[in-house]
Amino acid sequence: MCGIIGFVGELDSGGQTDGGTTGSVGAIIHEGLRNLEYRGYDSAGVALVGASSGLTVAKRSGEVDGLTVPDVPDATHGVGHTRWSTHGPPTDANAHPHTDCVGDVAVVHNGIVENYEALKKELADHEFTSDTDTEVIPHLIEEELAAGAGGEEDGKEGDADLLAAVRRVEDRLEGSYAICAVREGDDRIVVARRGSPLVLGRGENAAFVASDVTAFLEHTRDVTYLEDGDVAALSPDGVEVFARGEPVEREIERVTWEADAAEKGGYEHYMRKEIHEQPESLRQTLAGRLDVSAGDVDLDVSFPPGFLADLEEIRIVACGTSYYAGRYAAQLFEELAGVRATVEIASEYEFGAGRTPDRTLVVAVTQSGETADTLGAVRRANAAGARTFAVTNTLGSTVTREVDGTAFIRAGPEIGVAATKTFASQVATLAMLAVAVGRDRGALAAADARSVLKDLQGLPGAVQQVLDEEEQVREAAREYGDGEAFFFVGRALGVPVALEGALKLKEISYDHAEGFAAGELKHGPLALVTPDTPVLAVLTDGARAAETMNNVTEAQTRGAPALGCVSAGDTYDTLDVSFEVPNVGVVEPLVANVYLQLFAYHVANDKGRAIDKPRNLAKSVTVE
Amino acid sequence: MNDTPVTAVILAAGEGRRLEPLTNRRPKPMVPVANRPLLEHVVEAVAAAGIDRIVLVVGYRQERIRNHFGDGDDWDVTIEYVEQSTQLGTGHAVLQTEPVVDGPFAVLNGDRIVDPEAVSAVCDRLHAGDTPLVTVTAVESPRDYGVVHLDGDRVTEIDEKPEGPVDTNRINAGVYGFAPAIFDAIRATNTAGKLAITATLNDLAGSDEVTALGYDGRWLDVSNLWDVLTVNAALIHDSDHARDAPAAGQRVGDTVTVAEDVVLAGNVRVGPNATLSGATAIGSNVTVAANAVVENTVVLPDAVIGPGAVVRDAVVAGNARIGPNATVVGGNATVVVGDAVHRDVTLGGVVGDNTSIGGGATLTDGAVVGDDVQADAGVVIDGRVESGAVVRRG
Repeated sequence: MCGIIGFVGELDSGGQTDGGTTGSVGAIIHEGLRNLEYRGYDSAGVALVGASSGLTVAKRSGEVDGLTVPDVPDATHGVGHTRWSTHGPPTDANAHPHTDCVGDVAVVHNGIVENYEALKKELADHEFTSDTDTEVIPHLIEEELAAGAGGEEDGKEGDADLLAAVRRVEDRLEGSYAICAVREGDDRIVVARRGSPLVLGRGENAAFVASDVTAFLEHTRDVTYLEDGDVAALSPDGVEVFARGEPVEREIERVTWEADAAEKGGYEHYMRKEIHEQPESLRQTLAGRLDVSAGDVDLDVSFPPGFLADLEEIRIVACGTSYYAGRYAAQLFEELAGVRATVEIASEYEFGAGRTPDRTLVVAVTQSGETADTLGAVRRANAAGARTFAVTNTLGSTVTREVDGTAFIRAGPEIGVAATKTFASQVATLAMLAVAVGRDRGALAAADARSVLKDLQGLPGAVQQVLDEEEQVREAAREYGDGEAFFFVGRALGVPVALEGALKLKEISYDHAEGFAAGELKHGPLALVTPDTPVLAVLTDGARAAETMNNVTEAQTRGAPALGCVSAGDTYDTLDVSFEVPNVGVVEPLVANVYLQLFAYHVANDKGRAIDKPRNLAKSVTVE
Repeated sequence: MNDTPVTAVILAAGEGRRLEPLTNRRPKPMVPVANRPLLEHVVEAVAAAGIDRIVLVVGYRQERIRNHFGDGDDWDVTIEYVEQSTQLGTGHAVLQTEPVVDGPFAVLNGDRIVDPEAVSAVCDRLHAGDTPLVTVTAVESPRDYGVVHLDGDRVTEIDEKPEGPVDTNRINAGVYGFAPAIFDAIRATNTAGKLAITATLNDLAGSDEVTALGYDGRWLDVSNLWDVLTVNAALIHDSDHARDAPAAGQRVGDTVTVAEDVVLAGNVRVGPNATLSGATAIGSNVTVAANAVVENTVVLPDAVIGPGAVVRDAVVAGNARIGPNATVVGGNATVVVGDAVHRDVTLGGVVGDNTSIGGGATLTDGAVVGDDVQADAGVVIDGRVESGAVVRRG
């Protein structure tokens, strides 16, 4: 998991001219790295190439802001990298870019070269300076260049060619990768993609390449997504893309969302900004999709005739927060669509015995659309012949190319590593999908659908009401934030919310937090309950509040303070803190979750944690 | 002559209690007119005047402002925030910006809408070195504002809401031009209680130092609830953002009547046979159900107007629900705000955030219903209903 960026092009000196790119090559790459830091932030580096200055590499362990980008006035192009360690600890030596023996070639890489040990053996006479899998790539390029790649095969005189060398190296790599290579004396950036995201930006006399469009969105909105196996050469004159050695045309798409939507202006942390954005992001999620009077949903998805009616099982595959969104949705699918629904952690997913592929729908839930574990599960489902479907936030992401259908959650970019608004939008989107499937199958009466859709329509306003109560949560966080451990409990739809609430708190505050089905408390975890372990409970509609309250009382009798998210109109006098949840039926637990997000945020903030960049975590995990 | 770029300081920390219940959950500058917050109209005027750096002084419910404006990229400006944690007056608010302002600067109110020309005129004079500057405009009811007495272009006195008769209709438009020297002048001002910027200007006026700058463009002030409707109407009428082709995400049936002077957000749902007319603004994620009639009304995001409801001359706040066949009668009314009685103002009624008005209920005589109110079906409401109340029938 890493972020890469490259830029080649002509720069305007001084004032901005139409369509031109201003700044220096180093500054553009440094800014791009800052935009990509959510993808990893344990080390960073750049390689700049200038006509007379040659290749200049600077890299170090630590965050992007700690990196000093060398001043190379004649630089014409360069690449940069921000790393999340997989092979080898975060050290200066293991930071990218990596170079060949003589320092002519520099490479940045995102992904894993699975056969790097074998390749390293073949490169016995090369000098390696890092523990990374990546370093084999520049050395392989060096070998291919020495062997004259490109020179003889094109029947041309002169030097070996970087593009040809990368193409040959690409054939020898196994695993997943997106790479960018530069070479002294060559005015191009050569890139290759297999399994890891890579997108090209097309500027005026300039070209960009990055793991994610946010890296260069301030410079250009015209982008080309590369496909697996593509190799491309970028120069100020444009972009040439090759697939299996043949030149190919790849579509130029225009990105319409705003880059500044991904900047945290005015807020101390992206996470808090994103929590507060939820009413608006949910409005976007719902926009144009609810037809309340007809009791139906327009998600712009289609299934083969009769497929939904004959459906035997919906299997949701996901990781982390998306997995909890899946747990929420599975209950809705069973209740609203009358179909068996199960949820599997993506890395554990196998198609499994006793199932009929053509009567199974596998729904992958992934914010980034690049989560390696989830992509792996989709591939296993496809291989088994099941129909696959994705629920994701990211247009053009890898998962959208590998499934039979996609519903976008439209939450806008999320930068905080701790997912907040995307969880809300995932659940809302899955709930709409459950209504659509239920209606199609005839399992859901229009009147019942209408009631769910009304609740969904009330979701943004209900979330806003919770945000308006932030002060109450801040006080609770101050009072109970020093607990030794935190237990989150709920029943039914309250279970995934309890799990998600605990995940949020542990992710960003580093406190011990666990979520349980409330009924399980007495089967073990109760032994951990003391007066120093606050219990947070989901006590709303859809979460069997009265029964849950019995379990909360069990904890309270052991002295634990109890905080509850309670449906408006209900009261539990024994709670130490009661957070009011507006009446919105089956999405009440989802609204309760906003209180838990705020609680996690304020506990972590009071402790001075690095909320947007918790230790050891990265935003989208593209390794399995 | 001074070419230093002018920074705009916009005062947006105030609470705006006279606009309750709309300001219970949002600061007054975030009250929307023509579907955009008052403050956004101010920011746009500043940006259109060529200023590219804005400092927003925020305080009460500042998340709403920060969340909406971010770092200003949507308006091609850089927005920074300065917090005024307790609202101790406009002079105090300006003083909070001292650490981030080191050149000439314009000061505006975040809840008064002016044309870009008012701002660019201040910038021009600032470049000529004339400070402090007070922009002066003429209004019909000067006694509600700071009446400005002049001697040529010198300000002799700003008389805040004078009690007696006044011989001029010139008032302080709330757009100022200052140099950093104003900070010392504010500190030197002696006032009991709140530190108003006009107190400092009155001190300086005594020594002939304050220049008046005439302005006769648009000047829209929202002091009272009914001003939300008049300012909304004014903005809709002289803008080109009256109804465009339906945007993506809108669900508006064929049988719906939508007049020219209606502004619809991108994702509203309007049921069959509904009629929208008369300077109406409908916010994001709003539902107007079948057969409803909405006229000269501002509807905030997430609200639901039930089937057959008639809503005239009203403000329906966020996430409020107007039940089926409920009626906001509309027309002129007498409205009491604090101790003041306002007669013959056009205000059918105000429904606060998250309030639910039951089916068949009626709001008459400019009723102002607070937020989180539950009003039963069939009730008749006039006057004020406190926030959180339950209104029962009988």
